[in-house]
Amino acid sequence: MRGFMRNAFAMIELEMRRLKHDRTELYSRAVQPILWIAVFGPIMGSVRAIPTGGIPYTDYITPGALIQSTTFVSIFYGLTIVWERESGILKKLLVAPASRYSIVIGRAMASGVRAIFQALIIIPVALLMGVRFTPSVLNFILALLVIFVSSGGFAATSILVASFMKTRERFMGIGQALTMPLFFASNALYPVAMMPEIMQWIAHFNPMSYVVDAVRSLMITGNLANLPIDLAAIFIFDAVMFVVASINFRRIIE
Amino acid sequence: MKTVGLTKIYGGRIKALDGVDLNVESGKVFALLGPNGAGKTTLMRILTTQIKPTSGEAYVFGLSVVREGAKVREMVSYVPQEMSVWTDISGYENLLIYAKIYGIPPSRRNKLIWEALENMGLSEFANNLVKTYSGGMIRRLECACALLTRPKILFLDEPTIGLDPSARKAVWERLSIFRKENGATIFFNTHYMDEADLYADEIAIINRGRIVALGTPESLKHSLGGEIISLEVEDSAFGSKVLEAIKGLDVVSDIIMGGNEVNIVSRDAEHSLPEIMDILRLNGVSVRRVSITKPTLDDVFLKYAGVRLEPVAAGRISEVRHVRSMIRRG
Ligand SMILES: Nc1ncnc2c1ncn2[C@@H]1O[C@H](COP(=O)(O)OP(=O)(O)OP(=O)(O)O)[C@@H](O)[C@H]1O
Ligand SMILES: [Mg+2]
Repeated sequence: MRGFMRNAFAMIELEMRRLKHDRTELYSRAVQPILWIAVFGPIMGSVRAIPTGGIPYTDYITPGALIQSTTFVSIFYGLTIVWERESGILKKLLVAPASRYSIVIGRAMASGVRAIFQALIIIPVALLMGVRFTPSVLNFILALLVIFVSSGGFAATSILVASFMKTRERFMGIGQALTMPLFFASNALYPVAMMPEIMQWIAHFNPMSYVVDAVRSLMITGNLANLPIDLAAIFIFDAVMFVVASINFRRIIE
Repeated sequence: MKTVGLTKIYGGRIKALDGVDLNVESGKVFALLGPNGAGKTTLMRILTTQIKPTSGEAYVFGLSVVREGAKVREMVSYVPQEMSVWTDISGYENLLIYAKIYGIPPSRRNKLIWEALENMGLSEFANNLVKTYSGGMIRRLECACALLTRPKILFLDEPTIGLDPSARKAVWERLSIFRKENGATIFFNTHYMDEADLYADEIAIINRGRIVALGTPESLKHSLGGEIISLEVEDSAFGSKVLEAIKGLDVVSDIIMGGNEVNIVSRDAEHSLPEIMDILRLNGVSVRRVSITKPTLDDVFLKYAGVRLEPVAAGRISEVRHVRSMIRRG
Protein backbone atom coordinates (compact mmCIF):
# COMPACT_ATOMS: atom_id res chain seq x y z
CA MET A 1 0.00 0.00 0.00
CA ARG A 2 2.83 2.37 0.81
CA GLY A 3 4.44 1.52 -2.49
CA PHE A 4 1.15 2.17 -4.19
CA MET A 5 0.80 5.68 -2.80
CA ARG A 6 4.46 6.40 -3.44
CA ASN A 7 4.17 5.49 -7.13
CA ALA A 8 0.86 7.24 -7.61
CA PHE A 9 2.29 10.43 -6.11
CA ALA A 10 5.41 10.14 -8.25
CA MET A 11 3.16 10.04 -11.32
CA ILE A 12 1.24 13.08 -10.12
CA GLU A 13 4.48 14.92 -9.43
CA LEU A 14 5.67 14.11 -12.93
CA GLU A 15 2.56 15.77 -14.35
CA MET A 16 2.97 18.85 -12.18
CA ARG A 17 6.56 19.22 -13.26
CA ARG A 18 5.53 18.91 -16.87
CA LEU A 19 2.97 21.64 -16.37
CA LYS A 20 5.57 23.79 -14.67
CA HIS A 21 7.70 23.70 -17.82
CA ASP A 22 5.01 24.00 -20.44
CA ARG A 23 1.42 25.13 -20.07
CA THR A 24 0.56 25.91 -23.67
CA GLU A 25 -1.66 22.87 -23.97
CA LEU A 26 -3.74 24.07 -21.03
CA TYR A 27 -4.30 27.41 -22.74
CA SER A 28 -5.00 26.03 -26.18
CA ARG A 29 -7.48 23.54 -24.77
CA ALA A 30 -9.24 26.37 -22.94
CA VAL A 31 -10.18 28.14 -26.16
CA GLN A 32 -13.08 25.89 -27.06
CA PRO A 33 -14.93 25.96 -23.74
CA ILE A 34 -14.44 29.70 -23.55
CA LEU A 35 -16.14 30.00 -26.94
CA TRP A 36 -19.09 27.98 -25.64
CA ILE A 37 -19.39 30.22 -22.62
CA ALA A 38 -18.65 33.57 -24.27
CA VAL A 39 -20.35 33.15 -27.66
CA PHE A 40 -22.65 30.16 -27.85
CA GLY A 41 -24.17 30.71 -24.41
CA PRO A 42 -25.25 34.34 -24.82
CA ILE A 43 -26.59 33.76 -28.37
CA MET A 44 -28.60 30.62 -27.54
CA GLY A 45 -29.68 32.24 -24.29
CA SER A 46 -31.24 35.14 -26.16
CA VAL A 47 -33.48 32.70 -28.03
CA ARG A 48 -34.77 31.22 -24.79
CA ALA A 49 -35.49 27.91 -26.54
CA ILE A 50 -34.11 25.64 -23.87
CA PRO A 51 -35.76 25.13 -20.49
CA THR A 52 -33.04 25.54 -17.92
CA GLY A 53 -35.10 25.68 -14.76
CA GLY A 54 -34.93 29.43 -14.42
CA ILE A 55 -31.17 29.99 -14.62
CA PRO A 56 -29.51 31.96 -17.46
CA TYR A 57 -28.51 29.72 -20.34
CA THR A 58 -24.83 30.70 -20.16
CA ASP A 59 -24.80 29.75 -16.49
CA TYR A 60 -26.53 26.51 -17.39
CA ILE A 61 -23.91 25.43 -19.93
CA THR A 62 -20.85 26.64 -18.00
CA PRO A 63 -20.43 23.33 -16.11
CA GLY A 64 -21.07 21.53 -19.40
CA ALA A 65 -18.36 23.46 -21.22
CA LEU A 66 -16.05 23.04 -18.27
CA ILE A 67 -16.55 19.29 -18.06
CA GLN A 68 -16.33 18.91 -21.81
CA SER A 69 -12.93 20.52 -21.64
CA THR A 70 -11.60 18.56 -18.67
CA THR A 71 -13.00 15.31 -20.02
CA PHE A 72 -11.35 15.86 -23.39
CA VAL A 73 -8.06 16.58 -21.68
CA SER A 74 -8.37 13.25 -19.90
CA ILE A 75 -9.50 11.33 -22.94
CA PHE A 76 -6.49 12.52 -24.87
CA TYR A 77 -4.22 11.74 -21.96
CA GLY A 78 -3.83 8.32 -23.56
CA LEU A 79 -1.83 10.05 -26.30
CA THR A 80 0.91 10.61 -23.73
CA ILE A 81 0.79 6.91 -22.97
CA VAL A 82 0.97 6.03 -26.66
CA TRP A 83 4.01 8.25 -26.98
CA GLU A 84 5.59 6.61 -23.98
CA ARG A 85 4.91 3.26 -25.55
CA GLU A 86 6.58 4.24 -28.80
CA SER A 87 9.56 5.41 -26.83
CA GLY A 88 10.88 2.99 -24.22
CA ILE A 89 9.43 4.75 -21.19
CA LEU A 90 6.62 2.29 -20.52
CA LYS A 91 8.95 -0.67 -20.87
CA LYS A 92 11.20 0.87 -18.29
CA LEU A 93 8.30 1.70 -15.97
CA LEU A 94 7.03 -1.86 -16.19
CA VAL A 95 10.45 -3.21 -15.24
CA ALA A 96 10.47 -0.96 -12.16
CA PRO A 97 9.14 -2.41 -8.90
CA ALA A 98 5.76 -0.71 -9.30
CA SER A 99 2.41 -2.46 -9.62
CA ARG A 100 0.44 -1.81 -12.78
CA TYR A 101 -2.42 -0.59 -10.57
CA SER A 102 -0.20 2.09 -9.10
CA ILE A 103 0.99 3.14 -12.53
CA VAL A 104 -2.45 3.26 -14.12
CA ILE A 105 -4.25 4.85 -11.19
CA GLY A 106 -1.35 7.22 -10.54
CA ARG A 107 -1.39 8.40 -14.11
CA ALA A 108 -5.16 8.70 -14.12
CA MET A 109 -4.89 10.89 -11.04
CA ALA A 110 -2.14 12.87 -12.72
CA SER A 111 -4.56 13.59 -15.50
CA GLY A 112 -7.04 14.69 -12.85
CA VAL A 113 -4.51 17.25 -11.64
CA ARG A 114 -4.18 18.53 -15.17
CA ALA A 115 -7.97 18.79 -15.41
CA ILE A 116 -8.14 20.90 -12.25
CA PHE A 117 -5.66 23.37 -13.68
CA GLN A 118 -7.74 23.42 -16.86
CA ALA A 119 -10.83 24.25 -14.83
CA LEU A 120 -9.00 26.99 -12.95
CA ILE A 121 -8.24 28.70 -16.25
CA ILE A 122 -11.82 28.55 -17.51
CA ILE A 123 -13.67 29.55 -14.34
CA PRO A 124 -12.30 33.13 -14.18
CA VAL A 125 -13.39 33.66 -17.78
CA ALA A 126 -16.88 32.47 -16.87
CA LEU A 127 -16.88 34.88 -13.93
CA LEU A 128 -15.95 37.71 -16.29
CA MET A 129 -18.85 36.71 -18.53
CA GLY A 130 -21.14 37.28 -15.58
CA VAL A 131 -21.87 33.66 -14.74
CA ARG A 132 -23.15 33.49 -11.17
CA PHE A 133 -21.63 30.64 -9.14
CA THR A 134 -23.13 29.49 -5.85
CA PRO A 135 -21.32 31.52 -3.20
CA SER A 136 -19.99 28.54 -1.28
CA VAL A 137 -16.33 27.66 -0.92
CA LEU A 138 -17.22 24.15 0.17
CA ASN A 139 -19.33 23.59 -2.94
CA PHE A 140 -16.56 24.95 -5.11
CA ILE A 141 -13.96 22.65 -3.58
CA LEU A 142 -16.31 19.68 -3.84
CA ALA A 143 -16.91 20.51 -7.50
CA LEU A 144 -13.17 20.56 -8.17
CA LEU A 145 -12.90 17.24 -6.38
CA VAL A 146 -15.63 15.81 -8.62
CA ILE A 147 -13.71 17.09 -11.64
CA PHE A 148 -10.50 15.53 -10.34
CA VAL A 149 -12.00 12.14 -9.62
CA SER A 150 -14.08 11.89 -12.78
CA SER A 151 -11.17 12.98 -14.96
CA GLY A 152 -9.25 10.09 -13.45
CA GLY A 153 -11.94 7.72 -14.70
CA PHE A 154 -11.87 9.19 -18.19
CA ALA A 155 -8.08 9.06 -18.26
CA ALA A 156 -8.18 5.40 -17.24
CA THR A 157 -10.62 4.81 -20.11
CA SER A 158 -8.14 6.52 -22.35
CA ILE A 159 -5.27 4.39 -21.06
CA LEU A 160 -7.39 1.33 -21.74
CA VAL A 161 -8.02 2.49 -25.30
CA ALA A 162 -4.29 3.15 -25.69
CA SER A 163 -3.55 -0.43 -24.60
CA PHE A 164 -5.50 -1.68 -27.60
CA MET A 165 -4.95 1.08 -30.17
CA LYS A 166 -1.23 1.13 -29.99
CA THR A 167 -0.48 3.77 -32.59
CA ARG A 168 -0.99 7.49 -32.39
CA GLU A 169 -3.14 7.57 -35.53
CA ARG A 170 -5.52 4.84 -34.42
CA PHE A 171 -5.75 6.36 -30.98
CA MET A 172 -6.57 9.79 -32.39
CA GLY A 173 -9.26 8.23 -34.55
CA ILE A 174 -10.96 6.55 -31.60
CA GLY A 175 -10.50 9.64 -29.44
CA GLN A 176 -12.18 11.90 -31.98
CA ALA A 177 -14.97 9.41 -32.52
CA LEU A 178 -15.57 9.16 -28.79
CA THR A 179 -15.52 12.73 -27.59
CA MET A 180 -18.22 14.53 -29.56
CA PRO A 181 -20.91 11.84 -29.08
CA LEU A 182 -20.04 11.78 -25.39
CA PHE A 183 -20.57 15.54 -25.28
CA PHE A 184 -23.78 15.73 -27.31
CA ALA A 185 -25.34 12.68 -25.68
CA SER A 186 -25.06 14.35 -22.31
CA ASN A 187 -26.83 17.09 -20.40
CA ALA A 188 -23.98 19.53 -21.02
CA LEU A 189 -25.88 21.86 -23.39
CA TYR A 190 -29.55 20.89 -22.88
CA PRO A 191 -31.61 18.84 -20.44
CA VAL A 192 -31.76 15.14 -21.14
CA ALA A 193 -35.56 15.34 -21.30
CA MET A 194 -35.32 17.34 -24.56
CA MET A 195 -33.46 14.61 -26.40
CA PRO A 196 -34.90 11.94 -28.68
CA GLU A 197 -35.69 8.79 -26.75
CA ILE A 198 -32.69 6.76 -27.89
CA MET A 199 -30.36 9.61 -26.98
CA GLN A 200 -31.96 9.83 -23.55
CA TRP A 201 -31.26 6.19 -23.05
CA ILE A 202 -27.63 6.68 -24.06
CA ALA A 203 -27.33 9.74 -21.84
CA HIS A 204 -28.25 7.64 -18.84
CA PHE A 205 -25.20 5.46 -19.44
CA ASN A 206 -22.98 8.39 -20.23
CA PRO A 207 -20.75 9.12 -17.24
CA MET A 208 -20.35 12.68 -18.46
CA SER A 209 -24.05 13.40 -17.70
CA TYR A 210 -23.52 12.53 -14.06
CA VAL A 211 -20.37 14.63 -13.82
CA VAL A 212 -22.05 17.64 -15.42
CA ASP A 213 -25.07 17.21 -13.18
CA ALA A 214 -22.93 17.02 -10.05
CA VAL A 215 -20.85 20.06 -10.95
CA ARG A 216 -23.92 22.00 -12.05
CA SER A 217 -25.73 21.37 -8.80
CA LEU A 218 -22.66 22.25 -6.74
CA MET A 219 -21.52 25.30 -8.69
CA ILE A 220 -24.66 26.81 -10.22
CA THR A 221 -28.04 25.63 -8.92
CA GLY A 222 -27.16 24.68 -5.38
CA ASN A 223 -29.85 21.98 -5.58
CA LEU A 224 -28.08 18.89 -4.28
CA ALA A 225 -30.98 16.43 -4.47
CA ASN A 226 -29.37 14.35 -7.22
CA LEU A 227 -25.83 14.58 -5.91
CA PRO A 228 -25.67 11.17 -4.17
CA ILE A 229 -26.76 9.37 -7.35
CA ASP A 230 -24.28 11.37 -9.40
CA LEU A 231 -21.44 10.61 -7.03
CA ALA A 232 -22.35 6.93 -6.89
CA ALA A 233 -22.34 6.75 -10.71
CA ILE A 234 -18.96 8.49 -10.91
CA PHE A 235 -17.53 6.22 -8.24
CA ILE A 236 -18.67 3.07 -10.04
CA PHE A 237 -17.36 4.39 -13.35
CA ASP A 238 -13.95 5.11 -11.81
CA ALA A 239 -13.67 1.81 -9.99
CA VAL A 240 -14.55 -0.19 -13.10
CA MET A 241 -12.23 1.76 -15.38
CA PHE A 242 -9.32 1.65 -12.92
CA VAL A 243 -9.54 -2.11 -12.60
CA VAL A 244 -10.12 -2.87 -16.28
CA ALA A 245 -7.40 -0.47 -17.44
CA SER A 246 -4.90 -1.86 -14.92
CA ILE A 247 -5.59 -5.47 -15.86
CA ASN A 248 -5.02 -4.72 -19.51
CA PHE A 249 -2.05 -2.42 -19.04
CA ARG A 250 0.70 -4.98 -19.56
CA ARG A 251 -0.81 -5.68 -22.94
CA ILE A 252 0.41 -2.29 -24.11
CA ILE A 253 4.06 -3.30 -24.25
CA GLU A 254 3.48 -6.71 -25.82
CA MET B 1 21.63 -15.36 -14.90
CA LYS B 2 20.67 -18.51 -16.67
CA THR B 3 18.35 -19.63 -19.45
CA VAL B 4 17.35 -23.14 -20.41
CA GLY B 5 15.84 -23.92 -23.79
CA LEU B 6 14.31 -20.48 -24.02
CA THR B 7 11.96 -20.15 -26.98
CA LYS B 8 9.72 -17.29 -28.01
CA ILE B 9 7.26 -17.42 -30.85
CA TYR B 10 5.39 -14.22 -31.65
CA GLY B 11 1.82 -14.54 -32.83
CA GLY B 12 2.23 -18.27 -33.52
CA ARG B 13 4.48 -17.57 -36.49
CA ILE B 14 7.66 -15.60 -35.89
CA LYS B 15 10.24 -17.66 -34.05
CA ALA B 16 12.32 -14.93 -32.39
CA LEU B 17 14.18 -17.26 -30.00
CA ASP B 18 14.86 -20.90 -30.70
CA GLY B 19 16.10 -22.83 -27.68
CA VAL B 20 18.55 -20.42 -26.07
CA ASP B 21 20.79 -21.84 -23.32
CA LEU B 22 22.98 -19.30 -21.59
CA ASN B 23 24.82 -19.03 -18.32
CA VAL B 24 26.21 -15.69 -17.17
CA GLU B 25 28.35 -15.54 -14.04
CA SER B 26 27.68 -12.69 -11.69
CA GLY B 27 30.07 -9.76 -11.84
CA LYS B 28 30.79 -10.31 -15.52
CA VAL B 29 30.17 -8.06 -18.51
CA PHE B 30 28.29 -10.17 -21.00
CA ALA B 31 27.57 -9.16 -24.59
CA LEU B 32 24.89 -10.59 -26.81
CA LEU B 33 26.04 -9.83 -30.32
CA GLY B 34 23.88 -10.26 -33.36
CA PRO B 35 22.47 -8.61 -36.47
CA ASN B 36 19.10 -6.90 -36.71
CA GLY B 37 16.21 -9.19 -35.93
CA ALA B 38 18.41 -11.85 -34.32
CA GLY B 39 16.31 -11.89 -31.15
CA LYS B 40 18.51 -9.85 -28.81
CA THR B 41 15.76 -7.55 -27.65
CA THR B 42 13.33 -10.42 -27.28
CA LEU B 43 15.74 -12.25 -24.99
CA MET B 44 16.33 -9.16 -22.89
CA ARG B 45 12.64 -8.44 -22.59
CA ILE B 46 12.03 -11.95 -21.30
CA LEU B 47 14.87 -11.61 -18.79
CA THR B 48 13.44 -8.31 -17.55
CA THR B 49 9.98 -9.89 -17.08
CA GLN B 50 8.26 -7.83 -19.76
CA ILE B 51 7.12 -10.73 -21.88
CA LYS B 52 6.73 -14.42 -21.22
CA PRO B 53 8.66 -17.07 -23.08
CA THR B 54 6.69 -19.53 -25.19
CA SER B 55 8.69 -22.32 -23.58
CA GLY B 56 11.84 -22.78 -21.57
CA GLU B 57 13.03 -21.26 -18.33
CA ALA B 58 15.00 -18.18 -17.36
CA TYR B 59 16.45 -17.26 -13.98
CA VAL B 60 18.02 -14.09 -12.67
CA PHE B 61 19.95 -14.70 -9.43
CA GLY B 62 18.11 -17.99 -9.16
CA LEU B 63 14.68 -16.36 -9.41
CA SER B 64 12.36 -17.42 -12.20
CA VAL B 65 11.49 -14.45 -14.37
CA VAL B 66 8.09 -15.96 -15.05
CA ARG B 67 7.02 -16.95 -11.55
CA GLU B 68 8.96 -14.48 -9.41
CA GLY B 69 8.79 -11.43 -11.64
CA ALA B 70 8.19 -8.96 -8.81
CA LYS B 71 11.35 -10.03 -6.97
CA VAL B 72 13.40 -9.93 -10.16
CA ARG B 73 12.21 -6.40 -10.86
CA GLU B 74 13.56 -5.27 -7.52
CA MET B 75 17.08 -6.29 -8.46
CA VAL B 76 17.48 -5.25 -12.05
CA SER B 77 17.86 -2.03 -13.96
CA TYR B 78 17.07 -1.80 -17.60
CA VAL B 79 17.81 0.58 -20.45
CA PRO B 80 15.53 -0.17 -23.40
CA GLN B 81 16.67 0.06 -26.99
CA GLU B 82 14.41 3.05 -27.58
CA MET B 83 14.72 6.38 -25.86
CA SER B 84 13.22 6.09 -22.39
CA VAL B 85 13.27 9.43 -20.60
CA TRP B 86 10.67 12.16 -20.38
CA THR B 87 11.84 14.96 -22.63
CA ASP B 88 9.61 17.73 -21.32
CA ILE B 89 11.20 17.82 -17.87
CA SER B 90 14.83 18.22 -16.84
CA GLY B 91 17.42 15.50 -16.44
CA TYR B 92 17.42 15.95 -12.69
CA GLU B 93 13.65 15.65 -12.58
CA ASN B 94 13.77 12.41 -14.54
CA LEU B 95 16.06 10.93 -11.92
CA LEU B 96 13.94 12.35 -9.12
CA ILE B 97 10.78 10.66 -10.39
CA TYR B 98 12.63 7.34 -10.73
CA ALA B 99 14.14 7.72 -7.29
CA LYS B 100 10.62 8.09 -5.93
CA ILE B 101 9.27 5.15 -7.88
CA TYR B 102 12.09 2.99 -6.52
CA GLY B 103 11.40 4.22 -3.01
CA ILE B 104 14.83 5.65 -2.33
CA PRO B 105 14.42 7.40 1.04
CA PRO B 106 14.39 11.23 0.88
CA SER B 107 17.50 11.46 3.05
CA ARG B 108 19.65 9.68 0.45
CA ARG B 109 17.79 10.73 -2.65
CA ASN B 110 19.59 13.92 -3.49
CA LYS B 111 23.03 12.48 -2.89
CA LEU B 112 22.39 9.45 -5.09
CA ILE B 113 20.89 11.54 -7.87
CA TRP B 114 23.86 13.88 -8.01
CA GLU B 115 26.25 10.95 -7.85
CA ALA B 116 24.54 9.32 -10.81
CA LEU B 117 24.56 12.59 -12.75
CA GLU B 118 28.20 13.15 -11.98
CA ASN B 119 29.04 9.58 -12.82
CA MET B 120 27.60 10.09 -16.29
CA GLY B 121 29.09 13.55 -16.69
CA LEU B 122 25.78 15.36 -16.71
CA SER B 123 25.93 17.59 -13.63
CA GLU B 124 26.25 20.77 -15.67
CA PHE B 125 23.13 19.99 -17.64
CA ALA B 126 21.06 18.59 -14.79
CA ASN B 127 18.51 21.37 -14.86
CA ASN B 128 18.14 21.67 -18.61
CA LEU B 129 15.13 20.16 -20.32
CA VAL B 130 15.96 16.76 -21.82
CA LYS B 131 14.60 18.08 -25.13
CA THR B 132 17.76 20.13 -25.43
CA TYR B 133 20.11 17.14 -24.88
CA SER B 134 22.12 15.48 -27.63
CA GLY B 135 21.63 11.79 -28.40
CA GLY B 136 24.70 10.89 -26.37
CA MET B 137 23.56 12.89 -23.38
CA ILE B 138 20.17 11.21 -23.47
CA ARG B 139 21.79 7.79 -23.48
CA ARG B 140 23.97 8.83 -20.55
CA LEU B 141 20.93 10.08 -18.68
CA GLU B 142 19.28 6.72 -19.26
CA CYS B 143 22.33 4.98 -17.88
CA ALA B 144 22.26 7.34 -14.91
CA CYS B 145 18.63 6.29 -14.30
CA ALA B 146 19.74 2.68 -14.42
CA LEU B 147 22.65 3.20 -12.01
CA LEU B 148 20.61 5.27 -9.57
CA THR B 149 19.19 2.27 -7.78
CA ARG B 150 22.54 0.47 -7.47
CA PRO B 151 21.23 -2.65 -9.22
CA LYS B 152 22.92 -6.02 -8.95
CA ILE B 153 22.41 -6.56 -12.64
CA LEU B 154 22.10 -4.06 -15.47
CA PHE B 155 20.35 -4.92 -18.71
CA LEU B 156 21.35 -2.58 -21.50
CA ASP B 157 19.70 -2.95 -24.90
CA GLU B 158 22.12 -1.42 -27.39
CA PRO B 159 23.42 1.15 -24.90
CA THR B 160 25.42 3.12 -27.44
CA ILE B 161 23.05 2.94 -30.39
CA GLY B 162 23.30 5.99 -32.58
CA LEU B 163 26.28 7.46 -30.72
CA ASP B 164 29.52 8.56 -32.29
CA PRO B 165 32.67 6.68 -31.21
CA SER B 166 33.78 9.21 -28.61
CA ALA B 167 30.35 9.29 -26.97
CA ARG B 168 30.32 5.49 -26.96
CA LYS B 169 33.66 5.46 -25.26
CA ALA B 170 32.48 7.93 -22.63
CA VAL B 171 29.42 5.83 -21.81
CA TRP B 172 31.51 2.69 -21.43
CA GLU B 173 34.16 4.30 -19.32
CA ARG B 174 31.55 5.41 -16.88
CA LEU B 175 29.80 2.06 -16.90
CA SER B 176 33.05 0.27 -16.11
CA ILE B 177 33.72 2.59 -13.19
CA PHE B 178 30.30 1.83 -11.82
CA ARG B 179 30.81 -1.88 -12.26
CA LYS B 180 34.16 -1.84 -10.50
CA GLU B 181 32.77 0.09 -7.58
CA ASN B 182 29.61 -1.97 -7.17
CA GLY B 183 30.53 -5.38 -8.50
CA ALA B 184 27.41 -5.43 -10.68
CA THR B 185 26.75 -7.74 -13.60
CA ILE B 186 26.22 -6.09 -16.97
CA PHE B 187 24.32 -7.84 -19.73
CA PHE B 188 24.19 -5.89 -22.96
CA ASN B 189 22.94 -6.27 -26.51
CA THR B 190 24.85 -4.85 -29.40
CA HIS B 191 25.41 -5.15 -33.07
CA TYR B 192 28.71 -3.31 -32.87
CA MET B 193 31.46 -5.89 -33.11
CA ASP B 194 34.14 -3.64 -31.64
CA GLU B 195 31.98 -2.78 -28.66
CA ALA B 196 31.57 -6.42 -27.72
CA ASP B 197 35.27 -7.01 -28.35
CA LEU B 198 36.43 -4.12 -26.18
CA TYR B 199 34.11 -4.20 -23.23
CA ALA B 200 32.75 -7.71 -22.77
CA ASP B 201 34.30 -10.45 -20.66
CA GLU B 202 32.23 -12.94 -22.55
CA ILE B 203 30.31 -12.82 -25.81
CA ALA B 204 27.44 -14.86 -27.14
CA ILE B 205 26.77 -14.57 -30.84
CA ILE B 206 23.12 -14.88 -31.71
CA ASN B 207 21.65 -15.36 -35.13
CA ARG B 208 18.04 -16.12 -36.02
CA GLY B 209 17.19 -16.86 -32.43
CA ARG B 210 20.01 -19.33 -31.82
CA ILE B 211 23.26 -18.93 -29.91
CA VAL B 212 25.86 -19.89 -32.49
CA ALA B 213 29.04 -19.20 -30.53
CA LEU B 214 30.03 -18.42 -26.97
CA GLY B 215 33.28 -17.47 -25.29
CA THR B 216 35.69 -14.69 -24.41
CA PRO B 217 36.58 -12.36 -27.28
CA GLU B 218 40.04 -13.94 -27.39
CA SER B 219 38.90 -17.53 -27.41
CA LEU B 220 36.36 -16.78 -30.12
CA LYS B 221 39.05 -15.27 -32.28
CA HIS B 222 41.46 -18.10 -31.55
CA SER B 223 38.83 -20.60 -32.45
CA LEU B 224 39.39 -19.50 -36.04
CA GLY B 225 42.85 -21.12 -35.89
CA GLY B 226 45.09 -18.14 -35.31
CA GLU B 227 46.66 -15.20 -37.07
CA ILE B 228 47.95 -15.22 -40.60
CA ILE B 229 51.32 -13.95 -41.80
CA SER B 230 51.31 -13.38 -45.54
CA LEU B 231 54.69 -13.13 -47.30
CA GLU B 232 55.45 -12.28 -50.87
CA VAL B 233 58.79 -13.93 -51.72
CA GLU B 234 61.22 -14.36 -54.61
CA ASP B 235 60.20 -17.91 -55.44
CA SER B 236 63.61 -19.32 -56.39
CA ALA B 237 65.09 -20.19 -53.01
CA PHE B 238 61.98 -21.22 -51.05
CA GLY B 239 62.62 -24.92 -50.73
CA SER B 240 61.46 -27.73 -48.49
CA LYS B 241 64.27 -27.08 -46.03
CA VAL B 242 62.95 -23.63 -45.30
CA LEU B 243 59.46 -25.00 -45.06
CA GLU B 244 60.47 -27.58 -42.46
CA ALA B 245 62.36 -24.99 -40.43
CA ILE B 246 59.36 -22.68 -40.24
CA LYS B 247 56.98 -25.53 -39.48
CA GLY B 248 59.33 -26.43 -36.63
CA LEU B 249 58.44 -23.25 -34.76
CA ASP B 250 55.95 -24.32 -32.15
CA VAL B 251 53.49 -21.46 -32.59
CA VAL B 252 53.15 -22.14 -36.30
CA SER B 253 50.39 -24.54 -37.16
CA ASP B 254 50.20 -24.47 -40.92
CA ILE B 255 51.75 -23.12 -44.10
CA ILE B 256 49.83 -22.59 -47.30
CA MET B 257 51.81 -21.85 -50.45
CA GLY B 258 50.43 -20.31 -53.60
CA GLY B 259 52.89 -19.10 -56.25
CA ASN B 260 54.87 -16.24 -54.81
CA GLU B 261 52.63 -15.97 -51.80
CA VAL B 262 53.16 -17.88 -48.58
CA ASN B 263 50.53 -17.83 -45.84
CA ILE B 264 51.71 -18.91 -42.42
CA VAL B 265 49.13 -19.62 -39.73
CA SER B 266 50.47 -18.74 -36.30
CA ARG B 267 49.03 -18.46 -32.83
CA ASP B 268 51.13 -15.38 -32.18
CA ALA B 269 52.14 -13.63 -35.37
CA GLU B 270 53.98 -10.73 -33.80
CA HIS B 271 56.44 -12.94 -31.95
CA SER B 272 56.96 -15.53 -34.63
CA LEU B 273 57.59 -13.04 -37.42
CA PRO B 274 61.15 -12.11 -36.43
CA GLU B 275 62.09 -15.78 -36.13
CA ILE B 276 60.58 -16.53 -39.49
CA MET B 277 62.46 -13.62 -41.05
CA ASP B 278 65.72 -14.95 -39.56
CA ILE B 279 65.14 -18.37 -41.09
CA LEU B 280 64.36 -16.83 -44.45
CA ARG B 281 67.43 -14.61 -44.39
CA LEU B 282 69.72 -17.50 -43.41
CA ASN B 283 68.44 -19.42 -46.41
CA GLY B 284 68.79 -16.49 -48.75
CA VAL B 285 65.12 -15.95 -49.41
CA SER B 286 64.33 -12.33 -50.05
CA VAL B 287 60.95 -11.06 -48.95
CA ARG B 288 59.19 -8.33 -50.88
CA ARG B 289 56.21 -7.69 -48.66
CA VAL B 290 54.83 -8.86 -45.30
CA SER B 291 51.39 -8.46 -43.78
CA ILE B 292 49.69 -9.79 -40.69
CA THR B 293 45.99 -10.46 -40.58
CA LYS B 294 44.36 -10.98 -37.23
CA PRO B 295 40.93 -12.53 -37.12
CA THR B 296 38.28 -10.03 -36.07
CA LEU B 297 34.98 -10.76 -34.48
CA ASP B 298 33.63 -10.06 -37.91
CA ASP B 299 35.43 -13.16 -39.15
CA VAL B 300 34.15 -15.05 -36.13
CA PHE B 301 30.68 -13.89 -36.93
CA LEU B 302 31.08 -14.90 -40.55
CA LYS B 303 32.21 -18.34 -39.54
CA TYR B 304 29.47 -19.08 -37.02
CA ALA B 305 26.52 -17.21 -38.43
CA GLY B 306 27.36 -17.74 -42.07
CA VAL B 307 26.77 -14.06 -42.81
CA ARG B 308 28.59 -10.84 -42.14
CA LEU B 309 27.11 -8.38 -39.71
CA GLU B 310 25.57 -5.67 -41.82
CA PRO B 311 27.63 -2.55 -42.17
CA VAL B 312 26.47 -0.35 -39.35
CA ALA B 313 26.89 3.07 -40.91
CA ALA B 314 23.55 3.16 -42.71
CA GLY B 315 21.76 1.76 -39.70
CA ARG B 316 23.29 4.26 -37.40
CA ILE B 317 22.07 7.26 -39.32
CA SER B 318 18.51 6.00 -39.30
CA GLU B 319 18.78 5.24 -35.59
CA VAL B 320 19.88 8.76 -34.86
CA ARG B 321 17.06 10.05 -36.97
CA HIS B 322 14.66 7.82 -35.10
CA VAL B 323 15.84 9.02 -31.71
CA ARG B 324 15.70 12.63 -32.84
CA SER B 325 12.21 12.35 -34.26
CA MET B 326 10.99 10.82 -31.03
CA ILE B 327 12.40 13.72 -29.11
CA ARG B 328 10.80 16.23 -31.38
CA ARG B 329 7.42 14.59 -31.02
CA GLY B 330 7.65 14.63 -27.24
N1 LIG C 1 6.28 -7.62 -30.37
C1 LIG C 1 6.60 -8.36 -31.46
N2 LIG C 1 5.63 -8.95 -32.19
C2 LIG C 1 5.93 -9.70 -33.26
N3 LIG C 1 7.18 -9.93 -33.71
C3 LIG C 1 8.19 -9.36 -33.04
C4 LIG C 1 7.96 -8.55 -31.88
N4 LIG C 1 9.14 -8.13 -31.41
C5 LIG C 1 10.08 -8.65 -32.23
N5 LIG C 1 9.51 -9.39 -33.21
C6 LIG C 1 10.23 -10.15 -34.26
O1 LIG C 1 11.10 -11.05 -33.62
C7 LIG C 1 12.35 -11.09 -34.28
C8 LIG C 1 13.47 -10.74 -33.31
O2 LIG C 1 13.33 -9.38 -32.92
P1 LIG C 1 14.23 -8.65 -31.85
O3 LIG C 1 13.69 -7.29 -31.67
O4 LIG C 1 14.33 -9.51 -30.65
O5 LIG C 1 15.63 -8.59 -32.57
P2 LIG C 1 16.93 -7.74 -32.21
O6 LIG C 1 18.04 -8.70 -32.25
O7 LIG C 1 16.72 -6.98 -30.98
O8 LIG C 1 17.04 -6.78 -33.45
P3 LIG C 1 17.51 -5.25 -33.54
O9 LIG C 1 18.98 -5.26 -33.68
O10 LIG C 1 16.84 -4.77 -34.77
O11 LIG C 1 17.03 -4.55 -32.31
C9 LIG C 1 12.25 -10.14 -35.45
O12 LIG C 1 11.93 -10.90 -36.60
C10 LIG C 1 11.11 -9.25 -35.09
O13 LIG C 1 10.45 -8.81 -36.25
MG1 LIG D 1 16.81 -5.04 -30.48
